[in-house]
Amino acid sequence: MIEIQDLTKTHYRGETEVRALRGVTCRIPKGSFTFIFGPSGSGKSTLLYLMGALDNPTSGAVSVNGRNLAELSARDRDEYRRGDVGFVFQSFNLLKNLDAVGNVLVPFMPKGISPDMRQRAVELLKHVGLGNRLDHRPNQLSGGEQQRVAIARALLKNPALVLADEPTGELDSETGAEVFGYLRRLHVEQQTTVVVVSHDDRYVTDGDRVLELQDGQLRNGEAGGTERNED
Amino acid sequence: MLKLAFRNLLSRPMRSLLSLLGLTVAIAGMVGLFSVARGLDAMISDTFNDIPGLVVMQPGAPIPIFSRLPTDWGDDIADVPGVAVVNGEIWQRVNVIDGKTIISPPRFLFGIDIPSRVALRKCVYRNAMLADGPYAGRFLNESDRGTFNIVVSRQIAEEFEKEVGDTLQVNNREMTIVGVYHHGSLLVDVAIILDIDQVRSLTLFDPDSVCAFYVEQEEGADVEEVAERIRGVFRGREVERWKPASAIQFAPASSGNPLIDFLRRLDQGLKSPQPSPTDDSQEEKNTPASDGDGGPKSESESEVIDSRVETLPGQSFASIQDEGATSAEAGEGDDSDLPIEVRSASDWADRFDEFAGDLDIILGVLTAIGVTIAVLSIVNTMLMSVTERIIEFGILKANGWSKYDVLKLITIESAVLGFAGGVLGSLFGRIAADVVNLMWPTRAHLYASPGLLLFGVVFATVLGIAGGLYPAFWAMRMMPMDAIRRG
Repeated sequence: MIEIQDLTKTHYRGETEVRALRGVTCRIPKGSFTFIFGPSGSGKSTLLYLMGALDNPTSGAVSVNGRNLAELSARDRDEYRRGDVGFVFQSFNLLKNLDAVGNVLVPFMPKGISPDMRQRAVELLKHVGLGNRLDHRPNQLSGGEQQRVAIARALLKNPALVLADEPTGELDSETGAEVFGYLRRLHVEQQTTVVVVSHDDRYVTDGDRVLELQDGQLRNGEAGGTERNED
Repeated sequence: MLKLAFRNLLSRPMRSLLSLLGLTVAIAGMVGLFSVARGLDAMISDTFNDIPGLVVMQPGAPIPIFSRLPTDWGDDIADVPGVAVVNGEIWQRVNVIDGKTIISPPRFLFGIDIPSRVALRKCVYRNAMLADGPYAGRFLNESDRGTFNIVVSRQIAEEFEKEVGDTLQVNNREMTIVGVYHHGSLLVDVAIILDIDQVRSLTLFDPDSVCAFYVEQEEGADVEEVAERIRGVFRGREVERWKPASAIQFAPASSGNPLIDFLRRLDQGLKSPQPSPTDDSQEEKNTPASDGDGGPKSESESEVIDSRVETLPGQSFASIQDEGATSAEAGEGDDSDLPIEVRSASDWADRFDEFAGDLDIILGVLTAIGVTIAVLSIVNTMLMSVTERIIEFGILKANGWSKYDVLKLITIESAVLGFAGGVLGSLFGRIAADVVNLMWPTRAHLYASPGLLLFGVVFATVLGIAGGLYPAFWAMRMMPMDAIRRG
């Protein structure tokens, strides 16, 4: 479970103060599929990154399974990002100098890559339909294929939490649906907690939780957003 | 990670190549410059290993050609316990060979007392005699006394296209080559060896003077003990005046040979503090006390010489004597009253070590300039690279790379650049040194030792790492979010 308590984040662009989050409090249950909606600049990506320990909050706390991320040591935060969280970014964020297999293995490079791990990366790429693109570099892959590599990278960790920032933002509808298909399968098969930042509510299904942010504040409920139910 | 570092470098080939070239040139320059000093070291070491005896010469003279000693002092030295052979020798610079003015490399007439020279157990020239082909000949022997039979170095023979049996015009005197030697040292392969009296007659050298004595100790005798006994014989002895020989009188401030000039200035600089202007006793104490004791030179000859001294440009004989006297008095401590200086092979080597040390400082400064430019080039390359790849580091951190992992990646990239630059630079430096040696075998002796090459590689790698550290620290400090947001 993710518990967010009175979270604020202020950063600066030059001398301009930007208050990205202004006291957000919510809970994201373990094993849920959660969307964060909101207009541009509402703070949704900032909230996502704070859940992934990619940044430090100005105040407040983000706790994952009872551990306050801000209080983790640098090593534990690295370990958390490497082992517990899978990231999927809008612009894929693959390393251009590595092929598909290399990009999937990136999180574990500093610790060394075992043959078993390499084999598993290959299997994951085949699983997302990239069996014939193993040695291709990002510039040799389409947008959808790149995003599938990013998903395979996230899956290699067997993560407890997947954080996706506009994962379909640069994809056409068909490819976007395909990407969401993989995320859904991960959620169902491994009970992974998935949090997706998006502008597009077409991919919301029954039982998903929805958080709506505006101007750095949660619009739809203190406790944990709204559970979407079309009935 | 190493593979990723390689790929990152190869992904920006032009920038990596330019940075690599910058470092390569700097390291090649460093290897080239230091191979001059190492070459000198090696040459000195090789040369003096083959000259195990002692050289007795005038205090303050950097090398025997600037030294003058009375010939009969050789008898006193021969009486010293432990001394086996004493060989008087005269060195004179050759001005013209076969009509060609000799400037660089220098050539010297080396007059030897043949009987005692032949008696030496180990004679560097005799041991280096060539026995095959057109240079097959012999060393000088008793039959060569009073003749202009000569032994020359192979360099000289090759330069003037001579073989054994040919004649050579030296200072307008026809001489016959009876043997050719080759040692390989620039310090040894410069001599035209002949009977000492013939050199005296040819150069108007005082018949009762020699430049120096080469002393071979008895087998098993301790060279330092023998040297000290020789000093003991002359300690407190009044410095007798001997007739200045023509060569030293005519020696200008510059000998015309840069190496000799440099050695002379160096030695004087090392040994001689500036004489006190109030120390009037020096001249009286050390300069010749009276005319005529040293040799039977006729009055007319002396007058001729004196008149020539007066017309000398630059440094006069008196000033040369002063310099020697000053160094003898101030530089030798308890031996300040010694009219001689006894040098062993290790003494020579020590002097050259000091010389090489000074040379190293100069070369170090030159190298530092080149290396600084190369390091800045690496810093620039890595900084540009890091700036361009901020988002990449954000991705890596987002995927669990620690800041030290990022630091390691960047440092490996710069170390690879440094290592490659070091290998290439050392290789090119070595090749350049070999080319210089090949093109100017009689003038240059550069030695890029394996140690120097290894140092070049290690040094360049360290520089590469150092050059990458600042950009790496800059990158590792950024939060992943900051990096991605910047990207």
